[in-house]
Amino acid sequence: MNESVRMIVVLTVIAMVSGGLLAWVNDWTGAIISENQLQAMMASIQEVLPTATRVERLSSSPSTLVEEDPDQAREVEQATTEMFIGFDDNDRPVGYAFVGEGPGYGGAVRVLVGVDGASGKILGISIVSHAETPGLGSRIEEESFRSQFVGKTLNDPIALGRDIDALTGATVSSRAVVQAVRTGFEDASIAYERSR
Amino acid sequence: MGGLMKEFFKGLWNDNPTFRLQIGLCPVLAVTSSALNGLGMGLATTFVLICSSVLISLLKNVIPSKVRIPCYIIVIATFSTIVDLVMHAFLPDLHRVLGIFIPLIVVNCILMGRAEAFASKNSVVSSALDGLGMGLGFTWALTLIGAIREILGSGSIFNHKFVADTAATFGFFSLPPGAFVTVGILIAGMNIISARLRKAS
Repeated sequence: MNESVRMIVVLTVIAMVSGGLLAWVNDWTGAIISENQLQAMMASIQEVLPTATRVERLSSSPSTLVEEDPDQAREVEQATTEMFIGFDDNDRPVGYAFVGEGPGYGGAVRVLVGVDGASGKILGISIVSHAETPGLGSRIEEESFRSQFVGKTLNDPIALGRDIDALTGATVSSRAVVQAVRTGFEDASIAYERSR
Repeated sequence: MGGLMKEFFKGLWNDNPTFRLQIGLCPVLAVTSSALNGLGMGLATTFVLICSSVLISLLKNVIPSKVRIPCYIIVIATFSTIVDLVMHAFLPDLHRVLGIFIPLIVVNCILMGRAEAFASKNSVVSSALDGLGMGLGFTWALTLIGAIREILGSGSIFNHKFVADTAATFGFFSLPPGAFVTVGILIAGMNIISARLRKAS
């Protein structure tokens, strides 16, 4: 066989086998991965919204901005794409949880916030994902930091140095969490009021 | 038989990829902030290394030398992606920590280095042993560096904290510069031990 023909054939065959194998593995693991992610999210929601016995995902656009300003509406929608409503045993809504995002030191910090429906107070927050420095920024996951947000409402400032203390040596990570909590809090509360 | 065993043991000490060959240092510095991260990254790399070494050794007479590098990269990238997906599906907690480093295995020069320098010239069995030895050598190096940095930087070992939450730790060792210092001291220590062993024998 001609050498250049052989090069093309070998490379093509190797690439095709590799592509086929990856398609099969992706197919096999894809369902398990999305199931895992859903379960992890549900476990976090249980943690920040302990009064709920059943959780439903809310997928509608949160505001009337759609007609007025489509661009802004898209931004708002992206910020609060993930929102969940919790119900008690009698199917009455007890509160809601939303995922907010803030820019951290090593990428976006995503925070799940659980809010009591009646009082509008934050029941708890949980860090969904982050890539902060281990031992410094990663301490945003510690209970002592997260518990500072409990009891806050939309009327509180929720700002570093005012009602939230930043972690020593991790101001950027702390600010990311604060921003993540504030992002979408208002929209989520409006969406919750509407859904009832 | 002795020759085969030599292929396995050389990666553990004499040709240790991290401390002796000093290749693949990017993940060494990036992921070793804790012992568990080091162990996970080491084992993932070992798996990819064994698989790619065996396959490249099997294909060594088929692959034309002019396109050998693209072929190696496809083989390594395929195994890395499989590890990434399988780990994501069955070890989600470990994947949360290592997720961003797994794709780095593709460009880790240990894999290219062993494929080019060893697997493409040797039999399947010795390539597999070479991959296993190099992988385990990489694993113990990463775990040791991770353990030292975790003890000094976070006051814990394998995520078990042994100091109070409020205790001051050497945060420097959690950061990349701390990794450089740790690796440097360990290389020096290893050279001293090797020199002593040579003198003794």
